[in-house]
Formats: sequence, structure tokens, C-alpha cells
Amino acid sequence: MSDCLLSINDLSVVFKTEFGFVQALDQVSFNVPRESVTALVGESGSGKSVTSNSIMRLLPSNAKCVGGITMYPANADPIPISSLKPKDARLRRVRGELVSMVFQDPMTALSPVHRIGDQVAEAILCHRKVNNKTAWNEAATMLTRVGIPDVQQKMRMYPFEFSGGMRQRAIIAMALVCNPQLLICDEPTTALDVTVQAEILVLIKSLQKSLKNSVLFITHDLGVVAQVADRVVIMYNGQIVEEGSVRKILGTPEHPYTRHLLTSFPGAQRKQQSGSRPGNLKKAAATGADTELIWTSADHRVRRYIQ
Amino acid sequence: MNQLLSVNGLCKSYSEQMVVRSVSFDIRESSTVGIVGESGSGKTTLVKSILRAIKPDAGSVRYHSRAGWKNLDQLSSKDLLPLRREIQMIFQDPFASLNPRMTVQAILEEPLNIHKMGNSTWRKQRVAEMLQRVQLDASSAGRFPHAFSGGQRQRIGIARALILEPRLVVCDESVSALDVSVQAQILDLLNDLQKDLGLTYLFVAHDLSVVREFCDEVLVMYKGRLVEQGATKQVFDKPQHDYTRLLLSAIPSLNPDEPLQPLDRKLLDLD
Repeated sequence: MSDCLLSINDLSVVFKTEFGFVQALDQVSFNVPRESVTALVGESGSGKSVTSNSIMRLLPSNAKCVGGITMYPANADPIPISSLKPKDARLRRVRGELVSMVFQDPMTALSPVHRIGDQVAEAILCHRKVNNKTAWNEAATMLTRVGIPDVQQKMRMYPFEFSGGMRQRAIIAMALVCNPQLLICDEPTTALDVTVQAEILVLIKSLQKSLKNSVLFITHDLGVVAQVADRVVIMYNGQIVEEGSVRKILGTPEHPYTRHLLTSFPGAQRKQQSGSRPGNLKKAAATGADTELIWTSADHRVRRYIQ
Repeated sequence: MNQLLSVNGLCKSYSEQMVVRSVSFDIRESSTVGIVGESGSGKTTLVKSILRAIKPDAGSVRYHSRAGWKNLDQLSSKDLLPLRREIQMIFQDPFASLNPRMTVQAILEEPLNIHKMGNSTWRKQRVAEMLQRVQLDASSAGRFPHAFSGGQRQRIGIARALILEPRLVVCDESVSALDVSVQAQILDLLNDLQKDLGLTYLFVAHDLSVVREFCDEVLVMYKGRLVEQGATKQVFDKPQHDYTRLLLSAIPSLNPDEPLQPLDRKLLDLD
């Protein structure tokens, strides 16, 4: 069993639109290690969500996807996700059982006309042969675990009766109830208040430690990255510009775009270097975009850039 | 510095539900005052009452206009019109706040038309000046909002707010819909404009790190009450109220070695 749970190899995605072809991803390669949190960071349009949707094979029909995505589940054969046929039974296993997702907006991710308990239990019934009662009880256990009080009563309630934080907890329960080996969190806290965000981040991190699964965490907030991630992949314009451990990336970033992201972060650092206009650095990153990504050490790589 | 706005005992309720409970504070000229609090704490209702977009139930809002002190809560909408030139707003959503069927020229000219200012040549010139001020290309004037990115749209919103030369600008979550790098550029722009034009900002936000960087003073709201107010440094370094402590404990640090340890809401004395 290797240390790598998911391997993405030279993934390129092109969308065919009425204005021509749009390259959303350009030869993206990275690994998601087992039992750790990998953060995918970038601004809107950098290709974070396209990457995660490719893993779930959720791209729209006008997308053309080249490259390999392979999953190495524990105690099972590797699954070549990118080359599975749409009707392949393994694809159904990948979606929901091996990999599951937590989305940004907790209200749109839940069905407004079904009870919370039924929605969480449905995830179990889709993937395992158990009766309704067992599924309901397992859903109750998981909802308790994500911190929902009076669980039997709450399970009979509808999403509109839940607060934003409670809904996001229910979605996390729904995502984790089949014990997936990879949990993809696509900006799970952006829509939440800062105090609720802190609670959800602590929850995701502690569940990851106790369930020993991997998390791919998509965000543009570097404060969140520092709190949850072990490894960080920085994306810009559909390409990876830098990848490394969280301490390396936040402590001594090498690519100008990564530094630019850090100086944009509201806080003490920007005050000290006032005068560094983010706009100029952005151009520096853009001009380096055609050059290759090189490994500078065993676990850090950066795209070469023109200074 | 002179006082610009003085709010006293402001209350507002929506069908029995008290949303703003007796809020009082003052704003000095050319300062930046931040309002923070969770969703539902009454931030937006408070600023809407100050702008008289809604009428407060009780309390007074006194504003020191170019023509002396005025009671905003007492005036009729006709008497308010000249004051509206002095108090402007920048909205949260740069997509929803610009009419998609108007050109940038028309959007920026509209406030001048409403206040019947200048002739058409002067207005054109003023729009061009304003576009330059917010660092947009002069050719932007003929284009429609859909041709711009989120950050550029926010610049258009800022230009529209500033074209009437206001003194008090209310920013309701004006940077929270933007990417961090664009957010930093917009904050820089707001800072420069403040220096050049002597603006006063009332800055509503839920992102505490932005408030810490941008504001001179902070008001912390919780369940419609003002639970703490003071200089930004004071509030962030020595929070007095439990709710402020809870908010501060929830800010994720950029240092991975300082793990997030949010305080437990249940153990705090919040009410």
C-alpha cells in the first residue's frame, strides 16, 4: 500500500463554449497522500473546483478532459477514475462511497422537502445493503458525532429549520456516513459566520484525525489553510504554481504569486510592506506562467518565473 | 477632529422582533469606523436606519452636514434629498448593484441627474474624472457592467458613490464578495480616496482581519446591541466583552503552530 490515495497526472480540461475553447486546467499533477489534509488554493477562475469536479467525474458535457486520475483505495485495486465508462459500477462506488463532497452553500446542497434524517440515511442506503432502521441509527450516530444535539428530534426536522452552521454539520455527516477515504471540501466555510467557521474547521480537522481519512480542502483563505492543511497546492490560471508543506508555503514561499497571496492577506504583514501593490506582482506571476514546474526539494516544487 | 455623526438610543424592530436595541455611538470626521457582528446581529438594519432607507422606531441620528447639524430621523424625504449627496453607500454584491442595461456612463451620471447638477458636458467630464480616480480606463464609460470583472464592478460602484462628493460613505460588506487579492486592491483604493478626499467611512464587515487592518474604531454588535466599542487596537488587544473574545478566538491565524481554539459559546456570558 503506497502513501498516495489519489494521484492526478497531467490533467488538462478544456471547455468548449460559444466564444471558443477555454482551457480551465493545464497539465495539473499532484498527489493526495493518505490520512492528511491537502489544500488547493487559488482565486476564482484558477481551476480549483474544476479539479475537484474532475475527481468526481462531474464535469459538464462540453468539457474535454485529458490526463489520468487514479485512486488507490486501501485494501482494494486501484481505480482509474478518469478512464471509467459512465455506466461503470466502480464510478458509482467512487461517488459517495470512496470520495464524497461538502459544498460551499449548505442550503442548496440539501433537499428542502426531505427530513434531515432521511437525507443522511439515504447516503447509506445508496451504497450498502442494510435496512432502513440500521441506516437511520447509523445516521443518528454520525449526526451526534458532528455535534448535533437532541439528534432523534433534529433528524425529523427539515433543512429550513436548521441554522447555517447546523446545515453544514448535517452535510458533513452525510458526506462521512459511508466512511469515504477521501473527503473533498469545496469552500465549506465561505458562506458561514467567522465563529461558526471556526467550529466547522475544528470539526473537520478532528474528524479527519479520528476517522483517518484524507481531505482535499479547496479554499482561497490562507488563514483557513494554515489551520487545517498539511500540504498546500497553489493554483493560478489553471496551472499549479507552487506545492509544498504548509510551513514551507506560508513561511518561505518562493513563487511571486504565492507571496502576492500572502501579502494580500489582511493583517500585519501587509502593513510592513505597504507599497507592494498586488497588481504588479500578479503580472509577474502571469509572465512566468509558461515556464515549467520544477522540484526544488523532495516535497516542494515551484514554477519557474521571470524576475 | 469634528464630529460628523451622532447616533443616540436607536431602536428598530420588525414585527415584534427587536433587531436594533438602543444603539448609541459617534463618528468623527475623516475616520473609519467598523461594525462587526454575526449574521442577524443587526448591522445592516443599523446602517439602513442611519441612511434613512428605513425609519427607526426610536432614538435620534444627528448628522453634521455642510449646513450644520440635522436630525436625519426627523426629516421628510424632500428635506433629506440634499443630505443624500453627502451620505452615500457602496454595496456588497458588485453584480446585483449595477443595472445590467445601463452603460457605465449612464450609471455614473444618474446621481448627478437626480441632483440636477451641471450640464451634459460637465457631467461627462466628471464621469471621466471619476473613472480615472478609481483607476478604470476612460473607454469603460461606453461599456455595460457585464464586460467587467468583480473587482472592476466594485470600482464602478465606488465611483458612483463618490461622484457626488459625499462626506460619509457607508460600505456594507463592500469587499466580502471579492477574492483576497482583489480585496486588497479595493482596500488600498478606499484608503487612497480617504486620504485625498477626507472621506469618513462606516465599514460593515464580518471579516475581522479586514476590520483590524482598515478601521480606526470598531463597534461590536451582538443580538442588536452594541456590546463593545473602542479604538481598533484596544478592542483587538484587550477585548472587554465575552462576545468580542469569542469573535477574536475564531480568527484563523496564518501560523500553523497557533491552532484555532474557538471559545465555547455555551460557556460564555453573552447576554
